[in-house]
Amino acid sequence: MMDITLGAEMWEGVDATTEALVDKWLVQEGDVVRRGQALANVVIVKANQEVVAPADGRIEKILVKTGETFARGKPIARLKEST
Amino acid sequence: MAVAVAAARFHVWTYRAPAIVLGCAQRSLRQDIEPKLEGRACLLERQSGGGAVLSGPWMVGVSVVLPHGHPWLCNGLLESYRWLGQLHVAVLADLGVAVHSLPAHELPRANEQAGRTVDWACFGSLSPWEVVDGQGRKLVGLAQRRQQTGVLVVAGTLTARPDWSLLCRAMGHPQDEPVLRHRTVSCEELAGRPVAPQELASKLKQALGCALGVAYCRARSTAERTSSKRSLPKYMSSPT
Repeated sequence: MMDITLGAEMWEGVDATTEALVDKWLVQEGDVVRRGQALANVVIVKANQEVVAPADGRIEKILVKTGETFARGKPIARLKEST
Repeated sequence: MAVAVAAARFHVWTYRAPAIVLGCAQRSLRQDIEPKLEGRACLLERQSGGGAVLSGPWMVGVSVVLPHGHPWLCNGLLESYRWLGQLHVAVLADLGVAVHSLPAHELPRANEQAGRTVDWACFGSLSPWEVVDGQGRKLVGLAQRRQQTGVLVVAGTLTARPDWSLLCRAMGHPQDEPVLRHRTVSCEELAGRPVAPQELASKLKQALGCALGVAYCRARSTAERTSSKRSLPKYMSSPT
C-alpha cells in the first residue's frame, strides 16, 4: 500500500499552520490508475495543484474528501500498487 | 493548458463589463449567487485558487503560462509568485504608483495591520508576493494553477475602485463592503490621477514581453485586447 500525498516541494516556505483543500477528486475508490495520472486537484496558497499517482495501481481508499482540508504530510488517499 | 506548454506565453486583459470570477473551490456557490446578480454582472469560474474577484473596467488582468522547468518556477510554489508580483511593482512605479510586493514572512504583520480579513474575496486578504501600498492595502492579487502540462500564473490590478457593493451583495456578505474598501487601494488613488486600464495594460505587455523574451499572445477571448509595443521599458536594462 502506498500513501498519496501532496509533494513536499509544494509546502516549501508555506506557514506550518496552513492547510491545503481538496478541490476535486478526478478518480473514485476502486479505480485503476497509471503512474503520473492526475488524481485530484488541491488548493494551497491560492494555487490549484494536481496530485498525481506515484505508481500504477488501484485507489484503495480516499482519506480526504472534496471540500475538506489537510495538513502537510497527511495522505489524502491510499493506493494499492499493481504487482 | 490542454497540451504540454512548450514555451512561455502571456496575455493581458482589460474588461468592458463587470464579472464575478469565482475561485476554483467556490464553484458550489454558483447557484446561490446567480439569482442575486440580476443581470448586473456575469458569473464565471477560474481554474486557479483563491477567493472571488470582481473584474470590470477597474481592473487589468495578466495570464502567464510557463512550461515546467522554467526558471521562474524553480524555487517552489511561493517563489513562483515572486517574479510576477515584482514585475507589477516595477511597471506600477513607472506610472507613479509606489507599492511593494510582500514576502511570505511579512504576511502575518501585513494582514493584521489591514484589519479583519474577508476570506471569500481575493482582495479580502493578503498572500505571498501580492502587491500592497505603504499602508498594507492590496492593489494586485495573484493566483496560479499547476498541471502536468504547465503552470498558469494570473494577476489582477485595481486601476480604480471596484463596485465592492455589487460583489458583496451578490456573494451574500453586504456587511463586508467597508472591510474590502479598507483593505484595498487603486492605482488612481495612489497616482493621484486616473490611470486608464489600457495604459497599464500596454506597459505590462512591454514588461512581460521583455522579461519572458516572448511576443504578446493574441488569445481568442471576449475580453478587450490592445496592441503590444516591443520597445524596452526604461526600468529594464538591455543585455550586454
